[in-house]
Amino acid sequence: MSQTYTKKSSISKLNSKAGISSLLIFVILLLAWIAGFSSRLFAVIRFESIIHEFDPWFNYRATAYMVKHGFYNFLNWFDERAWYPLGRIVGGTVYPGLMITSGSIHYLLHLLHINVHIRDICVFLAPVFSGLTSISTYYLTKELWSKGAGLFAACFIAIVPGYISRSVAGSYDNEGIAIFALQFTYFLWIKSVKTGSVFWAVASALSYFYMVSAWGGYVFIINLIPLHVFVLLLMGRFSNRLFTSYTTFYILGLIMSMQIPFVGFQPIRTSEHMAASGVFALMFAVATLKYLQSMMSKSEFKSLVIYGGLIAAGIVFGTVVLLTYAGFIAPWSGRFYSLWDTGYAKIHIPIIASVSEHQPTTWFAFFFDLHVLVATFPAGLWYCIKNINDERVFVVLYALSAVYFAGVMVRLMLTLTPVVCILSGIAFSGLLELFLRDDEIAKPEESGDEEHTTPKNRKYDKVGRVPKMKHELNKEPDGIGPNIRTIISVVILLLLMLFAVHCTWVTSNAYSSPSIVLASYSGDGTRQILDDFREAYFWLSQNTADEARVMSWWDYGYQIAGMANRTTLVDNNTWNNSHIALVGKAMSSNESAAYTIMTALDVDYVLVIFGGVIGYSGDDINKFLWMVRIAEGEHPKDIKESNYFTEQGEFRIDGEGSPTLLNCLMYKLSYYRFGELKLDYRTPAGYDRTRNAVIGNKDFQLTYLEEAYTTEHWLVRIYRVKKPDEFNRPRIPVANRLVKSPNFVSKKSTKRKRGTLKNKPVIVKGKRLSSKQS
Amino acid sequence: MTIFKMLKFLLFLFFSQLVSAAIVQIDQKLVNKNVERSIDLTSHLVKVTAAITLENTGTSPISNYLIVLEPGTSGNLSFISVKDALKEELVVKPTEVAGHTDKVFYNVILKQPLGGSRTVVLNLEYVLTEAIVPYPNEITQKEKQFVRYFGSHYFYTPYSTTKQTTTVTLNSRNIENYTKLKPVSQSDSSIIYGPYTDVAPFSFDVLSIHYENNAPFLTVTHLHRLIEISHWGNIAVEENIEIVHSGAKLKGPFSRYDYQRDTSSNHHSVKSYRTILPAAAYNIYYRDSNGNISTSTVRTRKDWIELELRPRFPLFGGWRSSYMLGYNVPSYQYLYKKGGNEYVLSMRLLDHIYDDMHVEELETNVVLPVGVKNVKLNAPYEVERLGDGKTFKYLDSLGRVVLRLKKSNLVEQHIQDLEISYEWDTLTLLHEPVLLAVALYVLFIIVIIYVRLDFSINKSEKKE
Repeated sequence: MSQTYTKKSSISKLNSKAGISSLLIFVILLLAWIAGFSSRLFAVIRFESIIHEFDPWFNYRATAYMVKHGFYNFLNWFDERAWYPLGRIVGGTVYPGLMITSGSIHYLLHLLHINVHIRDICVFLAPVFSGLTSISTYYLTKELWSKGAGLFAACFIAIVPGYISRSVAGSYDNEGIAIFALQFTYFLWIKSVKTGSVFWAVASALSYFYMVSAWGGYVFIINLIPLHVFVLLLMGRFSNRLFTSYTTFYILGLIMSMQIPFVGFQPIRTSEHMAASGVFALMFAVATLKYLQSMMSKSEFKSLVIYGGLIAAGIVFGTVVLLTYAGFIAPWSGRFYSLWDTGYAKIHIPIIASVSEHQPTTWFAFFFDLHVLVATFPAGLWYCIKNINDERVFVVLYALSAVYFAGVMVRLMLTLTPVVCILSGIAFSGLLELFLRDDEIAKPEESGDEEHTTPKNRKYDKVGRVPKMKHELNKEPDGIGPNIRTIISVVILLLLMLFAVHCTWVTSNAYSSPSIVLASYSGDGTRQILDDFREAYFWLSQNTADEARVMSWWDYGYQIAGMANRTTLVDNNTWNNSHIALVGKAMSSNESAAYTIMTALDVDYVLVIFGGVIGYSGDDINKFLWMVRIAEGEHPKDIKESNYFTEQGEFRIDGEGSPTLLNCLMYKLSYYRFGELKLDYRTPAGYDRTRNAVIGNKDFQLTYLEEAYTTEHWLVRIYRVKKPDEFNRPRIPVANRLVKSPNFVSKKSTKRKRGTLKNKPVIVKGKRLSSKQS
Repeated sequence: MTIFKMLKFLLFLFFSQLVSAAIVQIDQKLVNKNVERSIDLTSHLVKVTAAITLENTGTSPISNYLIVLEPGTSGNLSFISVKDALKEELVVKPTEVAGHTDKVFYNVILKQPLGGSRTVVLNLEYVLTEAIVPYPNEITQKEKQFVRYFGSHYFYTPYSTTKQTTTVTLNSRNIENYTKLKPVSQSDSSIIYGPYTDVAPFSFDVLSIHYENNAPFLTVTHLHRLIEISHWGNIAVEENIEIVHSGAKLKGPFSRYDYQRDTSSNHHSVKSYRTILPAAAYNIYYRDSNGNISTSTVRTRKDWIELELRPRFPLFGGWRSSYMLGYNVPSYQYLYKKGGNEYVLSMRLLDHIYDDMHVEELETNVVLPVGVKNVKLNAPYEVERLGDGKTFKYLDSLGRVVLRLKKSNLVEQHIQDLEISYEWDTLTLLHEPVLLAVALYVLFIIVIIYVRLDFSINKSEKKE
């Protein structure tokens, strides 16, 4: 800015131009922020300000704990309410970035006496951060291409469903802030590669540190940046700028990332992080060679490179292999393998495969989450490859790796979305630049001397001028007729409009359900709220003993802890597979076998989700096969998946279902007394609306459990596990007993009397038995 | 030395005289000529009303009348009041009577001393809580709830009673048994004892009734009521309520199937209840720690707002629930200017929660505006005043005074107005906006200055 004041001649003109363009950028970014924020509020407006789904409940609970007890107590927090009887060291097993972010916002606001409840901060954190994401995307794209492309990208990422899916209000999860950290780190990295300044590299390392504290996806950064450097080296694009920025970034990033308790020594001990250190070493090798090159003759240098390179490579490889064998470096983790082999998880880790968001992505999902961007981003990629430079290599690599990962797991669509927005921004900007350029040439008096400087400045496109185009006045040198220009601009505008409509529609219909409050619409359009989850959790919190232990499938662990504040056996953390398998075994065994497990685990209540009355498909019976599979993985002798299928290999809950299924605990708890219930006049009693069948086992009683509570629509059913004296015979205090147990001596054991059968037939060889016995 | 001792003795005499002045004697010349007593047992509260005709058989005027509580009920008494024939409230004060230190007496000061051989009618009303006990105290979901009440056939009084009748009203005809001290008659759901004549003072004869009572046995174990005054024209009220079903405990399982099939209205579980809010209430919210409770309906009546609250789950015996109910009312209805800088707030210390309510513990907090002085409190009945607190609301820098009042064992009759007067300067209303404006101003100035300064160490090579 200060330079403009020195040019006295063009002060007013330049000032106003720069002012208008920066005002325009400011306004567009602000509008993108507002649009992004408000399109994420569907759930809050339709329902209320509430935490959604499963994982956010844990994050909320942890944040509330931190706000109440302070940061250090949070780091030392041992949660005895989870994973009974093991407990969970929460401070050492979370990425605390999310909690610290909302905790410090809470602290700041309360310092000013703006008394916002921590829940509201948690609910609105992700929408607020989406604005920051779109701003950092703008800066990243600006560094990569131009301001215009940046504005496009910022607007795209503000409303694109692929990102909204993880950042609606109430979805208080790591991804909500991590995408911002990701984009910001990349921006700072590009900036530092471009300038070679230590300042930007340090800033990038700091941003990386924030990312490490926020999300496990930081591994993506620490592999992508070395990959970028590596490819640049291969392309012969080594420079001192690259050397400075990477070495600074790596060392600082490494040290800072190790400060997060959950990450600890992983950056130097696991294979996932080895690429970064390898590139770090390579960087020095290349730098040394470059230095030596200036001192040696060509032939000497050639042989040095070949031999030195081979030896160095051999030593490095050998050390890594040795260290891996010695146990200093952990081999790839299972989750990582499943990224390369999509079938891996299904065979080896059923618990990962059981989560729907770990499934491979369908083609439909790409269109659903990205709409027109999925078609335009290859164009942007092509633009980048065509005009390649140091930083565009990065975005190309980013795009290619993210596309692969997004194809492997639905969940990783999230990492693809930002780069798709960036490249589509570049594509749209490139298109509009091509078709709207004549506008500026036609009016040179408006553009001033800026026109003849770098072409970059021209790439800033002015969307607002589209309707004002005057095509009739001039013939274009590149031979694109005015009609084509008009048609193409209109088509682009239409596409963008359709994109916005699609985004709103998807957000409103697919991603804005809190999932703990369900809504159903009756025939006349009135909405009925099914609040069964909260009903059950609140019942648990009010009417059970404070230390009561609740057994449920792990999906509901976080919700029970967060809303009912009761001890759970397993939860969404899923760190202990055998414990989950034990719960799965209890659910899939018959009642008495399950009772043994439940008493061993001190279970007081069992909670199951049952959707048969209202036709809710995400209930426990539909998830049941995963419980069986996980249990079978640990207890193959007791549980066999094939026992739960019919002869034809079907999973049926009606009369033809397998007897093992019809008598297992989960079945009984779901359908207890359901056989008597007639839902309407057309269907028989015990008709399950979710699976459209009449249940096969109707009249049964529970011996070891009793119904403690069932919600209004039977969605959540809670059972109390009886104490041994309740189902067997009444417990009599020792003092009142007529027969005192210690005095009882078994006659059998002392005299070794053998039992005899009354009227035992005497069988004599060769003779027939008398008619009585036959 | 001796003079000192004498003085001490005199002082002792003086004080003992003072103390004995507070102790009232039972004047046997006073006679209850007729007592018409009715005991209402239709809810979970015992509501006793008695019309007492007094006669002074002596000659000297008497100005005190003593009321004594039945043995063992002193802890259950929630509310007591005596009105004269013109329905005017008389002063009732707890007192002690020489020779009867084990009993709890209340002294009624008559409007005019009662002259010799004259009569006067007093209307006594008192409410006992937790005096109706479920028996059996554990029932299954399908069973009816039976309760027992223990009282006295005779009106318990320190005076001799010439004639008395007692009517007991129950809420069902299903009576398991009741004591039959003749003459007694039962018609429908009420039992009439008496008339009994010439009953000696302090006569007590156990009356017990075992009957079906499916009234909602709800008890508010803790009520935290917060009133926030804003001189911008709004008063916010928020009530944090912990409620428990204090009837017979649920034994065995709760079956949703049976509960859905049972559509009869007289069931011992509580599905919903009605709360009455002031007519001007707006922005009503009903939520708990897990968020909004979506099952409430608001109906606007002519003079009040009726709110039907449904807890998240039906309340069975022994089940607890808790919720938060809040609303706003315009301040002009409750806040008056007394002249000068003095304001008077007149609001209910306790408001309606449900019919025949019983609140075990009430804590009312009143948040006064910023910078109040000279706070005076005028409570309708005796309340415990806890130490004042201080709280900070939106952008407060000075803090606000919080008055904290506490009382236990309250019923519907305690819904009365509390008056708080204080001095307050209108200019403090502008305190926060001015502070905010200054802060923003400073911020903008800093930004303007910052943008115009160049902090770079070396000149950037880029030229525009």
